[in-house]
Order: sequence, then structure tokens, then C-alpha cells
Amino acid sequence: MTDSAAADAGLTLGGQRILFVGGKGGVGKTTTAGALALRLADRGDRCLLVSTDPAHSLGDLFDRHVGDSELQLAPNLWGLEIDPEAQVERHLDTVKATMRDLVKPDLYPEIERQMSLTRLSPGAVEAAMLERMAELMSEGPERYDRVIFDTAPTGHTLRLLSLPEIMAAWTDGLLRHRDRSDSWNRVLKKIGPRPGVGDDISYIEPPTEPEDERSTKIRQVLLERRRKFYQARRVLLEKGTSAFILVLIPEKLPILESRKAVDALNEFEVPILGLVINRVLPSEPLGAFLEQRREQEAEYLAQIERLFPRLHRLQVPLLPRDVEGFESLRTIGEFLLPDG
Amino acid sequence: MLHELLSYLRDRARTIGSLVREFYIAPHRGVVARAKRDEDDLFMLLIFSEMMGVPNPASYYTLELQPVLYDRFHEWHTRMGMEKSPLDGFRCC
Repeated sequence: MTDSAAADAGLTLGGQRILFVGGKGGVGKTTTAGALALRLADRGDRCLLVSTDPAHSLGDLFDRHVGDSELQLAPNLWGLEIDPEAQVERHLDTVKATMRDLVKPDLYPEIERQMSLTRLSPGAVEAAMLERMAELMSEGPERYDRVIFDTAPTGHTLRLLSLPEIMAAWTDGLLRHRDRSDSWNRVLKKIGPRPGVGDDISYIEPPTEPEDERSTKIRQVLLERRRKFYQARRVLLEKGTSAFILVLIPEKLPILESRKAVDALNEFEVPILGLVINRVLPSEPLGAFLEQRREQEAEYLAQIERLFPRLHRLQVPLLPRDVEGFESLRTIGEFLLPDG
Repeated sequence: MLHELLSYLRDRARTIGSLVREFYIAPHRGVVARAKRDEDDLFMLLIFSEMMGVPNPASYYTLELQPVLYDRFHEWHTRMGMEKSPLDGFRCC
């Protein structure tokens, strides 16, 4: 293991304001994210630790109830567990408020029924999660030195990362439709009304709202949406602003999943800060049974080195007891970011 | 006398001019109006697709456009060949 001296040197953290900690379920993402955040907080950075996993465990790690609003966990350290359902509700409330300005009151109950269907639609929770993450990514750095996301298992996170791009394309598509509609409208205006009949549009569109005003409103909504998508994308891809830390353990499936994750992150050009290899057997003598495990572990560690030659690799040893509470988190934190 | 004649001729010329213009333009007005309407109908379909049972991964975002378009909903679904609102319980007509 001497040739991987770099693997013990800790993460080389720059001025990144946004950090994502990801990996397969059960490899210790929350612990790593928590330890890193606490370590940075101890060093004087104001940190916000955000859990995006639908099965939150941030509260369990710090042994207190953490909810959807920022809660101070330690000096310089705040925690937050995103509740996507609450975000969906807030979104629906905003839409309802717009609706009351624009729709005849006798339609309210029907429309609210339709909205409650959206609450259950498959993409809604995911979209709400993305929206909240995007908000925290753009506003978080105004209030905190670092925002650290403890992300859901890899597949989900990668999907979340690709969403801004897909959705930006979607809004672009809709805006193109609006452009075409508007340019037809301009031609119609140039042609002018049929003599004595009035605007030709008038018997195609009910005259409840001037067409121009409607078009402007649609455009506003779409542009605001697109602005949010692009902002999230920019923060994600900007080198020096955000970085991804992948956590894995020296076992077959986590290694394979990490490989897929690295490929996908490279494809989206998201900068990867390093690979945290968690729960590596300590170097002291362990007895015949565990020595056998250590042999297999050595194979996996070699495989990790082979698969990710260009990534910074960092080993965190298996501890005698579960990581829980500040003391053991600080122990882990010292491995992640050693002194000096 | 001459003044009245000139004024009369000018009026005639204007009428004839607008008739000629209308002769050439009238067919296009319909075509353009229809093109715009088709474009808007497609847009309605994109925004309301989930209501029609077509799963839409973007429904979270289309929802915020719906209030702007509700007042066109009735006219749209009748034109699309659905006499009654296609939505269960959506009593728009």
C-alpha cells in the first residue's frame, strides 16, 4: 500500500462552496458528509449540511430531530433534511394563488382536484427535490461558506444531476412553440382585420384575455423556470464552485456502482474531488479469519486503484464501534481532512 | 366642382385599393390564423397532456402554466373533437 501514499493524504479541498457526497446505499455517505461538515465547521467555515435522501438519517447521526428548516447542530454547523412532499405543497400553493387571479371562481374546486392529482404524479417529488436543491445551491452560498449535500444513492443523484439539462431542453422546446405562435400572431396583425369584421383572431380566441397578455405571461413563467434550470446547471458544472465526493467500501458491488457513477459524472463534466474508501480493515493483526478477509480486501483495493487511476483516493479505516456522536465523527473527519 | 370630383375619385381609388388588397390577402389571413391556432392547440396538448391520461414527467412544471390557459380549455377540447370535457369531474361545460 506504500505506492498509494497519496491515498492517505486526505482530500485536497479548495474553495468549493458546494460539495456533494454520494455513493451506494449503506457505504457511509451520511457519516462521511457529517464528519466532513463537522471538520470544516471546527475549522471555522460556516457549513450547511443538507440531506436529500428520502430516507433521512441526518437526525439519527446527530441524535436529534432535524426537519425541513435549517437547524444548528454545532458551532458553525447547521443541518437540514429536505422534505420533497412539503416542497410539492408549497409549489401547489403558489400555483393556486396564480389561479385565483386568472380563473373564474366557479372553476376553483375542479382545478384544485386536478392539482391534487399532480401531488401524486411520479415526477413531482423528484422535481420538487431538484427545485429545493437548486434553491439551496444558488442561495446557500450567500449565508454559508460551504453547503454539503448528503445525497441519495447514486442512481437517484445522477438522475437529479441530469434533470436540469433535460428540463432546460423542455422549456426551450415550449418556448420555441411560443415563438412560432407569436410570429404567426405578428403576421396576422400586419395583415390586419377583415374589413368590417374586426380582428380575425377574435372568433378563434375567446376575448376573455388579450392574446398578447396571455402570451407574455406564458413566456414569463417559462423563462423564470428556465432561468432556475440553467442556474442549477451552472453551479453544478462550474469548476472551483462545486465538487463531488464518492464514498465506497472495498467490496464488489460498491466498486462497480462507483465506476458507473464516475463515468456518468465525467459525462456531465461534474468535477470529482476524490474517492473515499470507507471501512478499510485496520493495519494491526486481526486473527486468522479477518486476515483472510484482508487478503480479499487487498484485491479489491488493487481493483479500485486500477479502475480509478486518476482519482484521488483516500482510505478511512473501520472503527471498533459505530460512528455516532461528535467524538467519532471528529475521528473520521481527521482522516478526511488531516491537519496541516 | 373640380374639387368635389377629385375627392370623389380619391375615395373610389381608396375603396378599389382596399378591395384589391383584400382580394390578395383574404386567403392568407385564414391560413395564418389557422397556423397560429394549430400551434396553440399543440401547446395546450403539451401542457394538459397529464389530464388526458398521458404521463408527463414535467407535470410539476406544466402545472404552473395551466392557470394562464384554463379559460381556453373548453373551446380547445370541443375543437379537438371532444364534446364534453375529457376530464372526469372537470365540469367546464
